[in-house]
Amino acid sequence: MLKIFAGFFSGIALVAIVGWNTAGGLMMTEHESPFGVEETAARIQANIQALSDHGWKLSGLRSPSVSVAAAGQNVPPVLLVEACSTKYSGPLLAEDATRILSILMPCTITVYKKDDGKTYVGTMNAGLMGKMFGSKVSSIMDKVAEDQKAFLSFDADKPAPPLIKTRPGGGKGAGGQELSGC
Amino acid sequence: MTLLKTISAALIASTMTLALAATGSSFAAVDSAPAATQPTLEQDAARALASSTADHTKFEALQADFKNGPEVTRACLGCHTEAAKQIHQTQHWTWEYRNPDTGQVLGKKHVINNFCTAVASNEDHCSACHIGYGWADREFDLTVEENVDCLVCHDTTGAYKKLPGLAGHPNYETMEWPPKSGRLRPPTDLKKVAQHVGKTSRKTCGACHFRGGGGDAVKHGDLDSSLETPARYLDVHMDAEGLNFNCAKCHVTDGHEVAGSRYGPTASDTNGVQVRGANTHRNPATCQACHGNGPHSGNAKLNDHTRKIACQTCHIPAYARGPRHTKMSWDWSTAGKLDEQGKRIRTRNSIGKVHYDSNKGHFTYDRYVIPQYQWFNGKVKYTLFGDRVDESGVVKINEFLGGPDDPDARIWPLRVFRGKQMYDKGLKTLAVLHTAGNDDTAFWKNHDWDKALTAGMKAVDAEYSGTMGFVETEMSWPITHMVAPKEDALKCEQCHTKKGRLAGVDGVYIPARDRIVFMDTVGFSVALLALISVLVHGAIRIFVSSRKKV
Repeated sequence: MLKIFAGFFSGIALVAIVGWNTAGGLMMTEHESPFGVEETAARIQANIQALSDHGWKLSGLRSPSVSVAAAGQNVPPVLLVEACSTKYSGPLLAEDATRILSILMPCTITVYKKDDGKTYVGTMNAGLMGKMFGSKVSSIMDKVAEDQKAFLSFDADKPAPPLIKTRPGGGKGAGGQELSGC
Repeated sequence: MTLLKTISAALIASTMTLALAATGSSFAAVDSAPAATQPTLEQDAARALASSTADHTKFEALQADFKNGPEVTRACLGCHTEAAKQIHQTQHWTWEYRNPDTGQVLGKKHVINNFCTAVASNEDHCSACHIGYGWADREFDLTVEENVDCLVCHDTTGAYKKLPGLAGHPNYETMEWPPKSGRLRPPTDLKKVAQHVGKTSRKTCGACHFRGGGGDAVKHGDLDSSLETPARYLDVHMDAEGLNFNCAKCHVTDGHEVAGSRYGPTASDTNGVQVRGANTHRNPATCQACHGNGPHSGNAKLNDHTRKIACQTCHIPAYARGPRHTKMSWDWSTAGKLDEQGKRIRTRNSIGKVHYDSNKGHFTYDRYVIPQYQWFNGKVKYTLFGDRVDESGVVKINEFLGGPDDPDARIWPLRVFRGKQMYDKGLKTLAVLHTAGNDDTAFWKNHDWDKALTAGMKAVDAEYSGTMGFVETEMSWPITHMVAPKEDALKCEQCHTKKGRLAGVDGVYIPARDRIVFMDTVGFSVALLALISVLVHGAIRIFVSSRKKV
């Protein structure tokens, strides 16, 4: 009996350690972009608009790095492309049990620069996250994950589209900046 | 059976733990604060007047209705009798510098660059950034005192602007500016400007130095108009609400000679603090001139770094950190394409900057740019017109010299601007292009390479061979502005890692980037032996303990 308990708690400890170290990486995905920060964000926006038949609309463009710079600190550029599809969000918001998932809305894709000077795109692993909330959420999030792949599909032969500076709620950015911050 | 139960229990626990972990999340919020506020031109002028001992509005010589710039200069020289003579000795005036190390004759008048290629044949445009009037061609007389433009550096009104194409003059009549914009620029009120002169400012220096290469933030990367009223994060010295340094605070001026030049830069300064006013003949525009040789108080290890690393390497973690994007490359080889109606094409990138122009070719831009790093001892060798180039490789327009064994060399951050530009295939030399002007040979007028190159080469006394090609080029600048607050300096791990900032710099041992195989082998062997000893010791104790129970 002692050995069973020992094994049980060892298992918990082992998973806690492994989970602690890998959960972050599993929940997010990171891809290198061949373009600069603004052009990458603009291409993602164009891809989102191209999926309007899936209900997708741009809902904002934020720059948290602008807020941080306004507070006096140097950080590389970060742009948050926000989009929402009522086709996917509607069913989730309709029910009490899943309405809390509005915390994940709008769908946000982050574009940022790292110390190597390259641009990266980060997305939430929608497919994996969906699986944690039951079959209904999972089926919706699987579709979101599919669309996310399309958002990140870049055709370098196409000219760079303009960056659409959509302000969430139409308000002015933090610190009077051009883009909304955090 | 016991083992099976143990594994089952572990799996159940794992699933429960994962399910619990999945429900947790955390968010961080960042506060924001307003950026530096921008003083009005009137406030600037009032401040300038308050610190001056002369009110130029009261000067009789400045009551005239000046017709042109040289008339104003004549009035200035009535009191400031030696000013033009001093100016005539400076690089700002001559656009010429003889490098004592290499013997090369440099300066804007002579070098080739990978932007518009050269001043020669384009003087009437380029001289919008010359501190003189009338430099329209090579016949310009550099000895005439009235040709000195006092106002471009001493204006405090912000209303004085020298426009390209006017040979260094401001507009004296109403003119459309920018061309074909439909916007009319009224004649420059020379009297008002002349009556409101004062000390140089970030705005006056920036009128040229923030806009080199044809526009704001184009050329230097660490100098752009965001430095007119920068916030602290952008430049800790120039912070408009903090130290509020103007350019002359570091670039101390004596007899109109401004200290600090990219043609003769100081790569290392081991002479410590320089007392202002001391006649040392040293460059006062170095970090050490104010901060000394051991600026990191109480941190000997950081001070040690200064023997190999320029201050700028750590304290300017990136350039173009403000809101402006700097130009990163210029590809002339695609220039000259016109639309179906034979009209000029201009396309813009995602942020609205021109990324293709029939007149100029393709550009790329970037912001928050990580510099390149290399050894630099202050000596720069230029590829000048007439020097043979190897078209199979990348031509370095200027080469920064120095290596790890050179006591004067430090590891410096550089901005490297990449181009693809014209060269004369017959002469095997970089070519000079006549770009701007209203004549039939200017490339921006006719898009005819042969005509424009013939005219450009003629301006440097060469005969165009008739065959041209494009060659890849690089031009570098040491990064030295946009100094970040100390808390934003590079962190140890940004260099002390295998793929860190200094991954490409040879000749120096950097712990964590480099390894000594023998030392590593000994160290890891000791650690491994210790681990094995612990495991063996534990196993023996468990074994002995279980035997005792039996």
